[in-house]
Amino acid sequence: MLLEVSELDVRYGRNHAVKKLSLSVGSDEIVTVLGSNGAGKTSLLRAIQGLCPVASGFVRFDGEDITNMTPPERLRRQLALVPEGRQIALSLTIHENLQMGAYCRTDGNVQRDIDAIYDRFSNLGARRKMPASVLSGGEQQMLAISRALLARPKLMMLDEPSLGLSPLLVERLFELIVSLRKEGIAILLVEQNTHMALEVASRGLVMELGNVVLEGSAAELRDNDKLADAYLGHAN
Amino acid sequence: MTDTGSLAKPRFTLPGPAIAALVVVVLIGIAIAIGGQVIARQVVSGLMLGAIYMTVAVAFTLTIGVLNFLNFTIPTLFMLTGMVAWGVLSQGYLSFAGNAAWLLALFIGVAVAVVASLIVERFTFRYLKMKHGDSTEHAIPLVSSLGFLLIFENLVLIAFGSDSQRFKVPFNADLRIGNIVLGVPQIASCIVAVAAVAALTYILKRTKIGRALRTIAENPDTALLLGVDVSRVVPVVFILTGVLAGVAGALFTVNYGDVSAFMGDNVGTKAIAAMVLGGIGSIWGAIAGGIVVGVAETLSIQYFGGNSVQMTVWGLVLVIIILRPKGLFGGSAVGKGKM
Repeated sequence: MLLEVSELDVRYGRNHAVKKLSLSVGSDEIVTVLGSNGAGKTSLLRAIQGLCPVASGFVRFDGEDITNMTPPERLRRQLALVPEGRQIALSLTIHENLQMGAYCRTDGNVQRDIDAIYDRFSNLGARRKMPASVLSGGEQQMLAISRALLARPKLMMLDEPSLGLSPLLVERLFELIVSLRKEGIAILLVEQNTHMALEVASRGLVMELGNVVLEGSAAELRDNDKLADAYLGHAN
Repeated sequence: MTDTGSLAKPRFTLPGPAIAALVVVVLIGIAIAIGGQVIARQVVSGLMLGAIYMTVAVAFTLTIGVLNFLNFTIPTLFMLTGMVAWGVLSQGYLSFAGNAAWLLALFIGVAVAVVASLIVERFTFRYLKMKHGDSTEHAIPLVSSLGFLLIFENLVLIAFGSDSQRFKVPFNADLRIGNIVLGVPQIASCIVAVAAVAALTYILKRTKIGRALRTIAENPDTALLLGVDVSRVVPVVFILTGVLAGVAGALFTVNYGDVSAFMGDNVGTKAIAAMVLGGIGSIWGAIAGGIVVGVAETLSIQYFGGNSVQMTVWGLVLVIIILRPKGLFGGSAVGKGKM
């Protein structure tokens, strides 16, 4: 397994955001974490990336214990997060945002990789010298994913990437996620769009108040009555 | 297009160098049109003074923009440069350097300012535990830097006393353009001040560390997400602050020849006035504000006498922030989600 999270506890003061949670992601699969607001999904991803402290448990990535590593150390081990709300630096240009995506890299191929991004997303390339604030929500999401790609991730974690996007853009976003997986990037996807997430994922788990309440293959989860009652009825 | 000097998101943008050049040209033009060459001379000397205020105001803007921190030690770093330069020179430690001793003394002064700034960094940021989002976030760095202001000032008082001292510079040539007399040290100061600020904007705009600083300025959490090690980047801010404050102190020392333990206080408050007037968080605002305050000061002396300076400068600041709370060239979103 590429990523193994074991008995992970995350606390913010009195708030016990993630409780003894275990999950794993293989090197060529998409795993999705479902659940309503406040279930602890974002805390889980931030703890895996090292952005919030872990109370107990451990995180292994690519055969290495990364539980106590700093975010830069995790990035250098090719673990990247596309955060909730995208967190684009709006005052920086599109090009500078991409350069920041490669901040932890020391190799000389950054420019080549940025050019590849511009080939892939021509609307980013055309406006590379403009501040990122000119981009639409969908374009900002492409920029956020591109920025994470520049860390050359083995595993990319995405936190509600479809939030605020039109149905057409959501469709394109999930096509992109599938194509990233085909290029060899494992995906850990947090979503509220349960329908779409279970369509692209091979496995999934459902969180509620910091606990995993349901776990299984995507097909099993799609057919699960409990999940259908709780979430699928409200999807989209 | 992007505003090259602004640390955070600008609402409207004008190319910064154009703003600065425009302010200078308009001021000189108005002065010559109204008052002829007597006033033009005052405006030119105000520009020289403004160059020093500008450099200090940019130092303030840097720590406010990146760290959301009003660094009260900046006037002290300014003063340390002058006093240390005078100290090593008057003790004769630099006699081996011959005619260049004064220049070497100033370099030592700036180096001491940078070291002092790094000491301040340890005790205002690194060793102190601030929690983002509560009152300690602002209060702890602010109060500890105020503490350093007083500690450094009193250390200098103990070491050198409270008397004003003479720093001798072995040249005093003048240039004449029409009836306007320009001192060579003044012209050199302007060039050095502009070069220092230009170097800073280059660093912010074109280098990897500059991009990291601007990302922190906009959102420290994003910077952390992208792998910026904030504990490594914060000292860079303090080094740059020390260089800017030190260079300004060296220029002041060369221009006015007087150094004392209190020389930073007046310049520090004027630089804060300049920064607020220009727009907090905007480098080009600090540049324009510094120039405006410098010229306002010399014109005020010309028309209303030496005691009117503070009233003119702070009156101007009050009027501007009533009319335009964001300052002349402000409009930046500084103040949200800092370290």
